[in-house]
Amino acid sequence: MKPDNIEVVLREALTEEVASAAHRLEGLEERIVHELGDRCPRPRIIDRLRELLAPTRHGRIGQLAVLGVTAAISLSLGLIVARNGQAGPTLTPALAPTVASRSNHEVLFVVPAIDANKVSVVGDFNGWEETPLDDDNEDGIWTATIPLSPGRYEYAFVIDGRWWGQDPSAHDYVQTFGQYSSVRYVGGGGDGA
Amino acid sequence: MSRYKDAVFGLCLGFMRNRADGEDMTHDAFIRGYDNLRRYHLDKRFSTWIFTIAANLCRNKLRYRKNHPVVEQPRHMTGGKDPASIIAGEDRQHRVAEALNRLPYGYRAPLVLRFYNDLSYREIGEILGIPEGTVKTRIHRGKAMLKELVLEGRDDA
Repeated sequence: MKPDNIEVVLREALTEEVASAAHRLEGLEERIVHELGDRCPRPRIIDRLRELLAPTRHGRIGQLAVLGVTAAISLSLGLIVARNGQAGPTLTPALAPTVASRSNHEVLFVVPAIDANKVSVVGDFNGWEETPLDDDNEDGIWTATIPLSPGRYEYAFVIDGRWWGQDPSAHDYVQTFGQYSSVRYVGGGGDGA
Repeated sequence: MSRYKDAVFGLCLGFMRNRADGEDMTHDAFIRGYDNLRRYHLDKRFSTWIFTIAANLCRNKLRYRKNHPVVEQPRHMTGGKDPASIIAGEDRQHRVAEALNRLPYGYRAPLVLRFYNDLSYREIGEILGIPEGTVKTRIHRGKAMLKELVLEGRDDA
């Protein structure tokens, strides 16, 4: 073997190894999608509280209840502070939406869809009408930035007409009629928005 | 995903030198990639990002095995070549692949990324977390070591 030939032979050797073992990759996509699909992460308590506070059609009673509990805790702490005769900091319900948090957040939606021709996102923020995602540099990563006010949003991606309801960036998932949708909480901090 | 499947598998196979491990690491790399998608920055190439995840998984696995030896790792790729072609002495690729098994990870990894994945020195440095100059040195030395090992193997045969 010529000494300067090592690069060529190494390249050929590695290519040959991959080609001869290619059968091991059959069905890899399906296995990964199933594994991801089997997951349904338990939402954190803070996310549950945020959900209750979110301005949805079911949220009014939950909001009042949580605000009531928060107010009671604040009052109790206030009384303790007052009894000790110390001027403590003003206590405010940490989870209550502030004026600032009511402004729109630029929420990034990202999905890898190699070889896809059309990707869009549908959700309760757009009336389940398709908002297209872009892949300008054609690397298979589709993105869209959508301004959303604070709240809880259900959504899914539509990749070449197929429903993709389990966004790995989601905070939670819901299943309706056997079909998953993703859930994203916007506002209140730590929402990735 | 299919666009990167072979490239990630080639990387894992080259790093791990074992088909079952290569497959496992490829699977884990894509799962880890999806899990960490929110950390992906659009200013980085997706290939570099997924290669970095795969390389880290392979390195951690090899490091763990080094510290927790249970059984001797296979020194060759199983089920690959036709013995007849080896006996006939025509199999240069086989000799290089065997030599690659014996090369230390620090030299093997840059060679795989350079000559299988066709990456630049800068990208290799980014993936392996080493300076570009070190990448060049390791590739240069790695090639020299590989040649020596190939010649050794030929003399032994």
